[in-house]
Formats: sequence, C-alpha cells, structure tokens
Amino acid sequence: MNKINNEIWASRFFQAVTAFPKTIIIAGLMLILGTAIFIPTLQKDTRSDAFIPPDHPALIYRDKVEDIFGLKDPMVIAIVNEGEAGVFNPHTLALVEWLTERIESIDSIDPERVTSLATENDIIGTDDGMLVEAFFETPPTTQRQADQVREAVMDFPLYLGSLVSRHGDATLIVAELIDQTQAQQVYADLLALVEQAPTKQGEMIHVAGEGAVSGYMGAYIDADAQRLNPIAALIITLILFVAFRTLRGTLLPNFVVLATVGSALGVMAAFDVSFFVITNALPVVLIGIAVADSIHILSQYYEEVAQQPKDTPRRIVIRTMEKMWRPITVTTLTTMAGFLGLSLASVMPPMQYFGLFAMLGVGVAWLFSVTVLPAALSLLKLKPSPAYQIQDQQNQLQVDRFGLAMKSFGCWVSRHHVLVLFLAAIVTSAGIVGAFKLELNEARITIFQKDEPIVHADTIINQKLDGVHYLDVVVETPQAEDLFKPENLTRIEALQSYAETLPHVKGSTSIVDYLKQMNRALNEDRLDAYQLPTDPDLVAQYFLLYSASGDPADFEEEADYDYRLANVRIRMDTGVYTHEKVVVEAMQLYIADHFNAPDISANLSGRVNVDYHWIKLLGKSHFGSVAVALMLVWMMASFNMRSMVAGVITVIPAAFSVLLICAVMGFSGIWLAIGTSMFAAIAIGLGVDFAVHTIERLKVLIRDQKHSFDEAIEILYPSTGRALLFNFAALALGFGVLTTSEVVPLIKFGSLVAVGISASFVASMTILPALIKAIHPAFLYPKTSSANTTIPIEMIDPIRLADATHKERKDEVQTKPIQ
Amino acid sequence: MKFKQNLFSKCFLMSVSVLMLVNTAVAETSHPSGLEIAQQINARDEGASVSRNLIMEMVDRRGKKRVRETRGFRKYYGEEKRTMIFYLKPNNVRKTAFLTYDYPQADQDDDQWLYLPAMRKVRRISSSDRGDYFLGTDFTYEDIKKENKVGIEDYNWKTVGEEEIDGHHSFIVEAIPVNDKIAKELGYSKVIYHIDSNIWMVRQSAHWDVRGNELKTINFRDIRQVQNIWTAHTLEVSNHKTGHNTRFLFSDIDYSTGVTDDIFTQQALRRGL
Repeated sequence: MNKINNEIWASRFFQAVTAFPKTIIIAGLMLILGTAIFIPTLQKDTRSDAFIPPDHPALIYRDKVEDIFGLKDPMVIAIVNEGEAGVFNPHTLALVEWLTERIESIDSIDPERVTSLATENDIIGTDDGMLVEAFFETPPTTQRQADQVREAVMDFPLYLGSLVSRHGDATLIVAELIDQTQAQQVYADLLALVEQAPTKQGEMIHVAGEGAVSGYMGAYIDADAQRLNPIAALIITLILFVAFRTLRGTLLPNFVVLATVGSALGVMAAFDVSFFVITNALPVVLIGIAVADSIHILSQYYEEVAQQPKDTPRRIVIRTMEKMWRPITVTTLTTMAGFLGLSLASVMPPMQYFGLFAMLGVGVAWLFSVTVLPAALSLLKLKPSPAYQIQDQQNQLQVDRFGLAMKSFGCWVSRHHVLVLFLAAIVTSAGIVGAFKLELNEARITIFQKDEPIVHADTIINQKLDGVHYLDVVVETPQAEDLFKPENLTRIEALQSYAETLPHVKGSTSIVDYLKQMNRALNEDRLDAYQLPTDPDLVAQYFLLYSASGDPADFEEEADYDYRLANVRIRMDTGVYTHEKVVVEAMQLYIADHFNAPDISANLSGRVNVDYHWIKLLGKSHFGSVAVALMLVWMMASFNMRSMVAGVITVIPAAFSVLLICAVMGFSGIWLAIGTSMFAAIAIGLGVDFAVHTIERLKVLIRDQKHSFDEAIEILYPSTGRALLFNFAALALGFGVLTTSEVVPLIKFGSLVAVGISASFVASMTILPALIKAIHPAFLYPKTSSANTTIPIEMIDPIRLADATHKERKDEVQTKPIQ
Repeated sequence: MKFKQNLFSKCFLMSVSVLMLVNTAVAETSHPSGLEIAQQINARDEGASVSRNLIMEMVDRRGKKRVRETRGFRKYYGEEKRTMIFYLKPNNVRKTAFLTYDYPQADQDDDQWLYLPAMRKVRRISSSDRGDYFLGTDFTYEDIKKENKVGIEDYNWKTVGEEEIDGHHSFIVEAIPVNDKIAKELGYSKVIYHIDSNIWMVRQSAHWDVRGNELKTINFRDIRQVQNIWTAHTLEVSNHKTGHNTRFLFSDIDYSTGVTDDIFTQQALRRGL
C-alpha cells in the first residue's frame, strides 16, 4: 500500500505545483538570486597546504618548525649562462646586480631578505685574521675580475648548490615576501621585470619557487574558469537541441543548471569555503548533472505530447511527472550518496567540500526539476518535438535515428546476452590486471602543462642547483646552548653525510657548515681547518663573531635563539612522491637507529615530509572512499527498490567503471594523485544513474506490466535508452570539457571521469540487461503475484480517473521506425 | 668632543648653505629649522672619553632572550674614535673582546680586531658597512658610531612639528637621505627624530627601510646627567619587520676619570680587563 500512498502523494504534489506555476517560478528565481548574491565574495585558495587537513600532525609540526626557524616560501629567480665562463662573466654578474636591485624595490618583497651573489659576503681567512667582504661591490668589468669572483665563490661551500650551481652555469636570486598573499602580484611583477632585463645571447632568466607556484596558480585558475564554464554550457545546450529540437527543450534545462551552479557556489561563498584548484571542476560537473534530470523529464514529456497532442498542458505535465519523479528521485539520492561518500572518506579538505557542495547542487537540481520545470512546462502551449512523432492510426510512437539505434542495440544485447557477459568477464579480468599497476604518486609541478615557463624554470633549477625541495630535520636538545657541545655537532655532521648519500639528495645545510667555514677562515684559510671546533666555548665565540656583522635573524633558519634546536635543511632535486618516500623513510630509520640518544633527538619536517605523509594517507584513504561510495550507493538503491539484489545489480556498472578507470590509469601510467583520486567516487555517483533508470523502467515493464524480457527491451531502449544516451552525452562531454583545462590534474580527472561514465553507460546498457536475462532476479520476477503491487495507477489517480475514457492507451508505446 | 664638533662644523659650513637653500620653506617660523636642530644635537658635549658597563638584552620574536654583559671604553683621538668592548658574561664568551678604530675619512675603512679566548689569538676582522647590524643587535654600526648624535651630512633635514614625548617637549624632524646611494648604505629611506627641545637629545627615532616599509623604532630613555653630560641610560629598539628587540642598559658611566691609551691596543685585547 505504501507504493499507492506514494503515488497519491506524488500526484497531489504535482497538481499543486502546476496549480500555482507562476508562484513556483518566482520562488525559484528568488532562491537563485538569494544564493548567487554571495558568489562575488568567493575567496581563492591556491596554497598547496590547502589540500592537507589543517589538523594533520605533519602539517602542524611543519608550521611550528617554520615559525621557530622563520622559514618562508620564497620566490626563486635563476640566471643561467651555459657559455664557457658560465655566469662568471662581467655581463651576467652585472645582470645579477641589475635584477637584485630591482627585485629589492618590488612591492611586497622584503628588501632586506633578498639574497644573491650581489648581496652576499665572502668570508676569507687571511694571515692575521678574517675578511668578510662582498663578492663584488660593483660588478667586475673584465673577465679576469669575473674569474676572481668565480674562484671566491667556488671556494665557499655554503653557497655551492644553494646559491650558485657547482658548474658555475647558474646562480639564484632568492627573494622573500613581506606578505605571502601577494604572491600572484609579485610573480607577475617578476615576470615583467625579467621581460625588461638586459640579457645577452646565452643568458636566460627563470622564475620559480613555491612562492611563484602559488602565485602563478591564482592567475591560472582564473583563466581556466573563464574558459571552461562557457564551453560546458554551450556543449550541453547543443546536446539538448539535438535531443529535443525545441526552444523550451533547449532553454528550460539551462534554468535548472543556473539554479544548481548558482546555489552551490553561492552557499559555498556564504559559508566562507574557499575556491580551491579542484573547485574549478565543480561548475562543470554540476552543469552535466543538473541537465540529466531535465533530459529524462523532457523525454517523457515529449512522448506524452506526441501521444496526447490535444490534452491540456497541465495534464500532460502531471502525467509526465507521475512517471518520472521516482527514477529521478532515486538517481538523485544515489548520486548524492556517491558524493557523500567522497566527502566522508576523503582526507583532503578541498575534496570534502567538493563532495558536500556537489551533493547540495544535485539536491537543488532535483528540487528545480520537480517544481520549476513542471511549473514552467504547464504554462507553455503544447508543441510537439520533431524528435517524437506519432503515427495516427495505431497510436505508435515514431522514434528518431537515436531511438532506433538504441533499439537495435538493445535487441542485439538481448540476443547475445551470454556473449556480452563473457566479454564483460574478459574486460573485468584485464581491468584487474591494470588496476594492480596503479601507482600512487604526486608531484606538485605536474599541475602545470609541461611547456609552461614555471615548469621549465623548476626543471632547470633542480638540474643545475641542489634543488628546491626541502626536507628539514629538526634537532632537539634539552638545554639552551646544548648545540655548542661537540658531540651534538658531530652527530648532526654525520646525519648530513648520511642524507647526502641518498638518491636525489643534492646537498644540505646546518650550523655545522657555518662553523666549519668560520673555523677555516680563522685559521688562515687552511683547507684542513674546514672542520668542527672541538671546544664548546669556541663554538659560542664563533657565533658571537658571526654576529659582528650579521643580521640578528641571521642564523634563524639554522638554530633557534637559545641554541637548543637546530634545523638541518636537506635539498632534493625532485618533488615526486615516490622519490621523496625513499628519502623520508631512510631518514626516519637513520634517526631512530643512529641519531636519537638520551640528550638529543630529531624529527622530520619541511614540505617533503608533509607531502610524504599526506599522500601516503591519500593512498590509504582512496580505496576507502571508493568502498564507502559504493556501499552508500548500494544501500540507497537497495532501500529504494526494497531488494538487496537490486542494489547489487545497480552497483555493478558503477563498480565496473571504477575498475576500468583504474585499468586505464594502470596501463597508461597515470598516477593516483590529488586530482585523479576524486574520479572514483564521482564516477560512481554519476554512473549509477544509468543503472537506476534502466532498472526502474524494467521494474515497471517486467514486474508491473508483465512484459516478457524481450518485449521490455524493445520498449526500454528507444525510450529510456535514448534519454540515457543524451544523459550520457551531456555528462561525458561536460567532463570532456575539463580536458581543455590548463590545469593538468583537471585534464586527467575530466578524461578519467568521462571514461568512467562511458563505461557505466555501456555497462548499464549491456552487462546489466544481460545479467538480468541470465539470472532472472526475484525483484523483477516475483514468485507469487501480489495484487497490491500491481494495482494500475489509473485506479487511484484522480486525473487518470477523469481520463478513463482514454482506454487502451498503453503506458508503453510500441515503436516503429520512421519511414 | 671638541674634535668631533670641529668635524661637524666643517661639514656644516660646506653643506649648510646648500641645505638651507633647499630647505628654506621648511618649518614654521616659530620652529628652528631641521638643520639647526640637527646641529644643536651634534653640538652637545659627549665627553672626550668614557668607560661604562653595558648589558645587551636581545629578544627574538618568539620571546627568547640573550643577555650579554660587557664593559666598554671609548675615546676620541682627534677626529678618530677608538672603542673597546670586553665581554663579561655569559661565561662561554667571557674575555672575548672587540677593538675598533673609526677613522673620520670616508674612504678609509675602519680597523677592527677581535680576541677569541678559546683560540687565544687576536684576529683582525674586516670592517663592517654602515648599515650592517652591530653584534647581533638591532642597531646598525652607524647607529652605534653616532651614539646619541646624527649624521648631518647624510640627510636632508626638515622640521615637521612638535610634540610631547615622555613628558618632554620635542621637535619632530624628518631626515631623508641625500641620495639613493646613501640611503642604501644606511639601510634607511627616512628617519623621524623626536628631539628634546631643552637638552637637544634625541628621545625617539623611527626608521623606514629603503622601500619605505616601517623598519624600527629606537627609544632613548632614562636620560640623566652624568658628570654634567646628558646621558641616556636605556636604549630600546624594536624591529617591526622581524619582531626582534634590543635593549641596552648602561651603568657605571664615567666621563671624568679618563681612559688610558693602552686600553685600545691588541695587547689589551689579549690581556683582558
């Protein structure tokens, strides 16, 4: 009886909706305005840290360490000259000074925190003392002088690899920002400066560094969003036109799209949720989803119009909605369940918000599809779609070539269901093989296209210098000035030596290096004096001496103010997770086995360590999120169809599509990474719709109307199947638009979801019916016929009762090809 | 003192005429001009020699503190200034000492020697630039060298107002480096001085970096007469960019006893106090 109650309620609901159509439409408009008004307040957040849960211990510790040692993400400008003398020629050194001076005067750059060959001092030991002097006061004018600068720099180990390449063909200008939020503007200013720089042939200037990456990202997102969204809207509109070939069929769904995207982004802004890099995909995803409900409703609407061209618009709309509310409600709930799975199981805040607001958008799309859309349709005069025509005599619906193609495909599947299942088994096996090749990996720089200047800059700097990927080792001792103890310094020295044996570690810096340099300088510059002093008092005195000309914050990055904590910065030439993993794990082991002692201990920090921890977490949580999404979708489908088997069959195409995506990734070497990790939950949430629509319709055809399987297929494919085809086209092309993005993870994400949706669609149209034909599930073929479940809707529907004269009108129409 | 005044007088004679022309419309008629005030500051007596104890307290932005206790000596030899600082505490730097000869000629580098007791060696170290930080404090070498005076020739001076500061009437004088080169050397693009109008002592100076960012503020406190010489006993600097703070506490100041010449020698460095 429950079902009958539902039908009565639904019927009353749609009568009410069509009774006050203008009120409903105005209310809809107000809702759009009320939420969209917040959109201008949306804030961008392009920080890499945004992807890490703010309470992750590795992040909290990193922030603490950055605060203690005053570490920042600077802008890095590389000057490269691969000529014979490298950068050590009068012109290039003058260029370094030219750039340094102008960089110091860029707004938001701290002029006291710009480091380059033009600002740094050489510490030289002399017979009677020590000389601290600039490498050059004014740029050298002759090659001979430039050679002397080269000699001095090459004899100063602290700068080799960090400020100047070991081959002398590149040097850096490192600039810290006063206000990190100005990164985008500073990056633009730097690029403009580089443009004007008086370079000679053979000289190249590159701008990179974490500061530049986040600076560039802001501009990148803006440009991307401005292009993606209009393209997606245009493509969807085009699909709608092909499907219905009417103005209302093309425009009304766009109204639902507007409401969906507007409310999701508006609510995001109202709750102060930032617009992250991946949020760029949200409007595109929502456009595709929002239009799906409309496609199914309009398909049914035009079928009804074709059959009852003389009926009133209101009655046509009510009949349409009575048939469609259930499948679109079920698909909405299952899609929401998929996004909820993404939100619940994801470890990254941007993904959690993505899931949450996609879920909200799907809900809004449903709300508008069951209220504003029918209200608007009931106001419009009936006008048949050229895609749906009736041959008068037999009341048969003529379908267009899309419907026909779907029909013959359906018949083929039905005839060859064993072959279909066999092929599916083969594809599944191949999928499992591919899925095992799936590699968890990530590298921040891969966000950008390979030909972007920032990628080139990053490559050059990592090749020529020691690299800009930092692993910090924080050394802790119990008492102030314990770092002066020679045994502690020796331990740090050994740790650095070990680290430098690891792959991709190019260099490291700590107070040990400064002390050795000072020891050498105060011992007549003898090479054999490049070693640690053995007297703790001498260490204290060296530091005092260093401060004779140093900035009070000079050693901030290497030691804390009371010499209890030290930071060892290890430089790596790669930001690829699998490489970072090797180094982090080796260092963890070394610290535990060889470094830690009762009076000294060490912990890892820095970006490399943070990346290691949370990407590892991503790998762990990813399959969890897939499982949660599948489970939620299965529960929702089982509940709606009151059958766990129905739930399982519904989930099969989605699970198949996830497997296929994993296989594609495995075989083509696409990493499971930030951008690509979202694919599964989204593909499940969207892909399951095809199965839901198919099963819902089969339930009506086979269980309620007692059609044979083959009859059901002949009815299903040209009608629901055709609608699904356009639904699929809208989604696949909507996600396909992401492949035109500039942001590489979005391209991969878009293509993978498009693959997934295609797989779900194909599976829902092949494996699913073939399976049903093979196993005859009880939820479609009940053993005992129950009168309750087969009461015709007409019996309880007031409008249908009034319409009772209209006998013999089959719920389902026989199809016949258009001649 | 006399020598120093002579030096400044010469500089004034050369620069006043030019600067006065530039700054004719500087101040309201009731205020002395910026340059006149600067001259008044530098005309103050600061003693030919002095010995004193100095406690340097440095606090970083996280509130961690370093305290160093020293005994210092300073004496003028004509226009040349010699300074010796002996470290007394903490123990691991005790007996570390710095000896500096500042020469009046702009083109002559200052001489600096250092004694590290743990090495038992006197080492000569190269002179520092004017804008370099002094011994890990927030003062620059130039700030220290000038003590409570100002570098008249480095700036264009302009009186911009008057105000009570620490309960004393003071003139507000704006000093802008005469050119970019000087600004870069000093590390300042602007300094605003608050000068006590009764005793011509700077009570506060605020400094901006070469890009015009607020850099640091120095407060001269606890100003009392010692042997008839106005002396600030506490100097406090806060660096607005780094959050680092420095406090100098002077005690046992003696201008009258005189400082023997053998204090300013390498032997004295090695020998200690």
